[in-house]
Amino acid sequence: MEKLFNFQDFKYAIRDLTRSYKKISTIIFTLFISLFVLSVILSLEYSLKKELNANAKILLGGDFEINTRNEKVDDQYFKKIEKFGIISSTVEFSTMLTNSTRSDAKTFFIRLKAIDQKYPLYGDVQSFPDKALSLLQTTKNSIVVNRKIFETLKLKVNDTVYIKQTPFKVVGYIESVPDLGRALLFGDFAVVSTNSFLNLNINTLGSFINYEYRVKLNNENINFKQEVENLTKNYPSYSVRYPENSSNNLKKLIDNFSQFLSLVSISAMLIAGIGIANTLISFINQKNISIAIMKSLGFTTSTIKKIFYFEIFTLLTIISLLAYLLAILSVPIVNAYLVKTLGIAVQSEFIIQNFIKVFLSGFLVVSIFCLPTISAIQQIKPTSLFRNVFQPCEFYFTKKNISLIILAIISLILLFAFDSKKPFYTIMYFLVFFIICLTLYGLSKLIIFYLRKINFIKFLPLRLAVKNITNPKTIFPITVLSLGLGVTLLLSLTLIGYNFKKEVQKSIPEIAPDYFFVSIQNTEKDEFVKYLKNNDKNAVIETMPIVSATLTKINKKDPLSYIKQNNDSFWVLERDRRISWSNTPPKDNPITEGNWFDANNKSLQISLDAKVAKDLNIKLNDSLTLKIYGREIEGKVTSLRKVDYRDLSINFVMLINPSFAANIPHEYIATAKFKNLPDFKEGAFLQKFKNISTIKVSDYLGKVTEIINKIFIAVIIISSIAVIIGLTVISSAVIVQARLSVYQNLIFKILGINSSNLILASIIEFLISFLSIIFIAVIFSIGVSYFVIEAIFKLNWSLEIINSSFVLLFIGTVTIILILLNNYKFLSPKVYPLVRNE
Amino acid sequence: MKSLLELQDIYLNYKTENSLVEVIKGVNLKINSGENVAVVGKSGSGKTSLIMLIAGLEKVTSGKIIFEDQDISAYSEDELADLRKRKIGIVFQSFYLIPNYTALENVSLVLEINKIENAQKKSAELLDQFGLKDRLNHFPSQLSGGEQQRVAIARSIILSPKLILADEPSGNLDSENSKLIIQLLFKYSKQNNSSLILVTHDQSIAKECDKIIEIKDGKII
Ligand SMILES: Nc1ncnc2c1ncn2[C@@H]1O[C@H](COP(=O)(O)OP(=O)(O)O)[C@@H](O)[C@H]1O
Ligand SMILES: [Mg+2]
Repeated sequence: MEKLFNFQDFKYAIRDLTRSYKKISTIIFTLFISLFVLSVILSLEYSLKKELNANAKILLGGDFEINTRNEKVDDQYFKKIEKFGIISSTVEFSTMLTNSTRSDAKTFFIRLKAIDQKYPLYGDVQSFPDKALSLLQTTKNSIVVNRKIFETLKLKVNDTVYIKQTPFKVVGYIESVPDLGRALLFGDFAVVSTNSFLNLNINTLGSFINYEYRVKLNNENINFKQEVENLTKNYPSYSVRYPENSSNNLKKLIDNFSQFLSLVSISAMLIAGIGIANTLISFINQKNISIAIMKSLGFTTSTIKKIFYFEIFTLLTIISLLAYLLAILSVPIVNAYLVKTLGIAVQSEFIIQNFIKVFLSGFLVVSIFCLPTISAIQQIKPTSLFRNVFQPCEFYFTKKNISLIILAIISLILLFAFDSKKPFYTIMYFLVFFIICLTLYGLSKLIIFYLRKINFIKFLPLRLAVKNITNPKTIFPITVLSLGLGVTLLLSLTLIGYNFKKEVQKSIPEIAPDYFFVSIQNTEKDEFVKYLKNNDKNAVIETMPIVSATLTKINKKDPLSYIKQNNDSFWVLERDRRISWSNTPPKDNPITEGNWFDANNKSLQISLDAKVAKDLNIKLNDSLTLKIYGREIEGKVTSLRKVDYRDLSINFVMLINPSFAANIPHEYIATAKFKNLPDFKEGAFLQKFKNISTIKVSDYLGKVTEIINKIFIAVIIISSIAVIIGLTVISSAVIVQARLSVYQNLIFKILGINSSNLILASIIEFLISFLSIIFIAVIFSIGVSYFVIEAIFKLNWSLEIINSSFVLLFIGTVTIILILLNNYKFLSPKVYPLVRNE
Repeated sequence: MKSLLELQDIYLNYKTENSLVEVIKGVNLKINSGENVAVVGKSGSGKTSLIMLIAGLEKVTSGKIIFEDQDISAYSEDELADLRKRKIGIVFQSFYLIPNYTALENVSLVLEINKIENAQKKSAELLDQFGLKDRLNHFPSQLSGGEQQRVAIARSIILSPKLILADEPSGNLDSENSKLIIQLLFKYSKQNNSSLILVTHDQSIAKECDKIIEIKDGKII
C-alpha cells in the first residue's frame, strides 16, 4: 500500500502547478469568484450577529428592561427595582409634527420619544450640536428632530415646530439613537424631555403610549436575574427582557437572508464545477504525453492521479484562503452601507469555522467534478508513445467514483442544511437544483440524438452547426447546462422580486386607503367624520373603535411561561394589542371556525386570527384572559377568522363582542379613501384636530418599497455571479473546442468555405442551445417563483414578461458576443504554419 | 552466461471491431545480461509490439516472459510499473521528453522516483558527459532533435537499468546525430553491464550488436 501523502509527489504537483496555471485559469477564476461570494456572505452574517450580540445592551438600552406591556409601572415595584441600579424611564408615542399652525403646514407622522436625564444608559446619541441632548433637558419646551425632518423643513437651531399645536423650540437634530426602536428603523422621530412631554398634556386614554423602563445595574456581577424574576412574579403582566433577546427579529432576518444567499452562491459554485471538469479534462488531454511518459518510466496510475489531486487541492487551498481573506477585507466596504441603513457598524475578522465551511464547500464541489475527470488518467496508454497516436480521454465513471460522488453531494447538502434554521428548504433547494441539472442535461442529449437523425441539410452554415452539435467532442451539453442553470436562477429571482414588489405596490391604488387616522377621541368622532365628508363628499370612511388589551393568560396559564420567542405569533403576547368590536364580521375576514358573536350573551367573547390561534395552540371555546385598563377579564374564543394584514385595511388579531365592549372607554381609528386626494390638507386638518395623527399610506408604502428595492438589487447582484461564472465556463469550453477545430477550419478554408459561413454556423449553434435553455429556464423559473411566492410568502403570483425577456435577451447577447470573440482568432487560421507542423 | 530475459512461446493478438489480428505468433528468445541484441524486420512485422510486451506495457495473449527468473507476464499493472521504474529504460523513436520539465528535470525524475540522493547533481554530471552542459535548464521545445534524444538516452541509462529497450532511436535523426546516439547507447550499456534491445532499420548498426534477430509476420526467422 502506498503512502497517502508522499512529499515527492507533492513536489511534482507544485512544479506542474507553477508551470501550467495559465491553462487552468478558468478553474482559478470561477473557483475564486464563487468562494469569494460565499466568504463575503458568511463573514457578513457572522460579523452582523456578533455586533448585535456585542451591542445587545446598547440595543436594549440597559442590562434589562421591564416590559409593562404599555402601562405606567407600579410605584412600589419601581422602588424595588431601583435598588438594582439606575432606571431610565422613557415614553414613546406616535403623533404629528408640523412646521406651523397654519393650514398649509408641512406635516410628519413621527414617533415622539420622551427621555429623562439618565437616557441613554448605554451607547451614545449622535446629534448636532453635540450637546443637543443636554440642551433638551435645560431648555423649556425644546425638541430634537431626526436629520431628515431637519433637512426637509430646512430648519435652523431655535426654529419652532409644533406638536398638537404646541410650539417646541428646535435645539438640534439627531443622527442616530443607540437603542434601535422598532419605529425608528425607517420612520421619522423626535426627542423631547419627559418634562416637556408632560406639558403636552396628552389627554388620550393612555392606551397607546409606550412606557419603557431600562435598568443599568449598580453592580454588574450580582446574580440579579433570579431576584428580578422573583419580584416580577407578583406582577403577572410584567415581563423582563435581557440583552440576549434584543433584536431577535433582526437576527431572524439576517439568518434567512444569509442562508438564501449562501445557497445562491453554492449554485454558482456548482456551475463553476462544470467548468472545472471541462477545463481539467482538456488540461489532462494536453498533458497526455507527459502522463504516458511517466507511466513508461514506472509511475503507477494511482501515483499520477495523486499528483493531479494534490495539484487541484493545493490550488483550492490557496484560492479559498485568498478568497476568504479578500472577503474579510471587503467587509468594511459593505459596512459603510450597513451603517447607513441599519445603523450597525461591523468589524471583520478571521473566523476559522467560516473558513472551514468555505474550504469544505469548495472541496466537496471540486471533488464531485474532479473524480470522473482525474480518473480519466486511467485511459492514457503509454503504448501511444511507440505509435505516436493519442486518443483524447473522456470522463471515467467507476462504481467507486459514483459512490464517492454521491457521498460528496450528500455531504454538501448536509453542510448547508446543518447550520440552517430551515433545513427543509435547504434540502428542497438542492433537490430542485439537481432536478434542473438533470433536465437540462437530458434535454441536450435528446437534441443531439434527434439532430443526428437529420441527414440532408442544404444550407451550409446550418449543416456546420448541426455537425458541431452532434460531433462526439461537442460542448453542447456543457453550454446548455452551465448557461441554463445561471439563466434559471436569475430568471427565478427576477420573477420573485417582481411579484414581491408588485404585491406591495398593488395594494396602493385598489384596496388600500389613502390615510390612516389614529387617536380619534370618542367625543370628536362624529365631528371628524363630518369634517372629512365636507371636504370630499365621496370619501369612503371607515371607523373602528379601539381599546388596548394585553393577552395575559391562555386557559388560565401565562403564555410567556411556555411559548418561545421564536414562535411566529410571539408578537401577539409581547405587548398590548389594539382590539376592536363589530356587530358583523369584517367583510374581508372570513370566519373559518365557530360562529359570530351571540348578541344576547353579555360576557366576553373573542374572535381570533386563525393563524395566531394555530401558532399559539388556541382552540375554539378556549379561555383567554385579557387585561384592559388594568383589569383582567376572562373570555371565550367563539370564532376564528382568516386575517390578511397585507390589504392595509383595518385588521385586528382579536375582535370582541359589542355587547360586552359597549361600556369600555375607547378611541377610534379610521381609514379614508378620497375621491380627490389633493383636496385633503393635512395642515388644515391638524389645526382642527390636534390630537389626531394622520398617516399617508403612500408615504409609508414608499418607504417599504424602497427597502424591498434595495434587497432586490443585492439579490440580483449576487445571483448575476452565477451567470458570470456560467459565461466563463462557456467561454473556456468554446476556446477548448475552437482549438480542436482549428485544423477543421483550416480544411474548410482550403475547401473555400469562408469565415462568414463559419460565424453564421456558430450563431446558429448558439441559437439552438439558447432556445432550448430558454424553454427549460422559463418553465422552471415559473415553477420555482410560483412556489416561493404562493406557498412560502402566501402572495399572489403572476407572470412578468418585460423584465424577464430583458434578462434573457441581455444574457443571450452577452453570450453570443463572448462566443464569437473567443472563436474569432481560431476562425481564420494561417495556412502555412499548420501545414508545416501538421 | 546467466539469462536476463526469456520469452517462451509468446503470442499477441489484437481484437478489432470485427476481426482478430495476430501480431506476435509464438516467439521464443533468450537474452543474457549485458548482451546487445538488434531487432530488424520490415515495417509492420511486429518489432514494436515485441518491445512493448517486454516493457510490460502490453499483456501477452499467451506464453511467458521470464525476467530475472520471475514470470512477469503474470504481474499486475502496478508490479510491472515498479519493475520498469527500477530495471528497464526505454528510448522512443520520437524522443518523448516531458514538455514542461527541463532537460535536467527529465533525467533526475528517474533517480528521484527511486529515492536516490543527489539526483540533480548526478543527472547534471551525466548530461555534461553527453555534451549538454549548457542545455540543463532548457525545456524540450528549446532543444534540437539530436539533443532531445541525448536527454532521452541519459534518462534511460542513468539508473544503470538491467535492460534498455530502444525502438528505432535514430529513426527521426540525421545520420550524424544518429551515429552519436547509437554510440552513446552502446558505450553506456556496456559500461553498466545493461542488456540492450535495439530495433533498427540500419544494417550497419545491427551488425555492431552481439546478436541480430529478424522478425517477419510476428515470428523470428
Ligand atoms: N492496436 C492495434 N490493433 C490492431 N492491430 C495493431 C494494433 N497495433 C498494431 N497493430 C498491427 O500489428 C502489426 C505490428 O505492428 P508493429 O509492432 O508496430 O510493427 P513494427 O514496429 O514492426 O513496424 C501491424 O500490422 C499493425 O497494423
Ligand atoms: Mg515500429
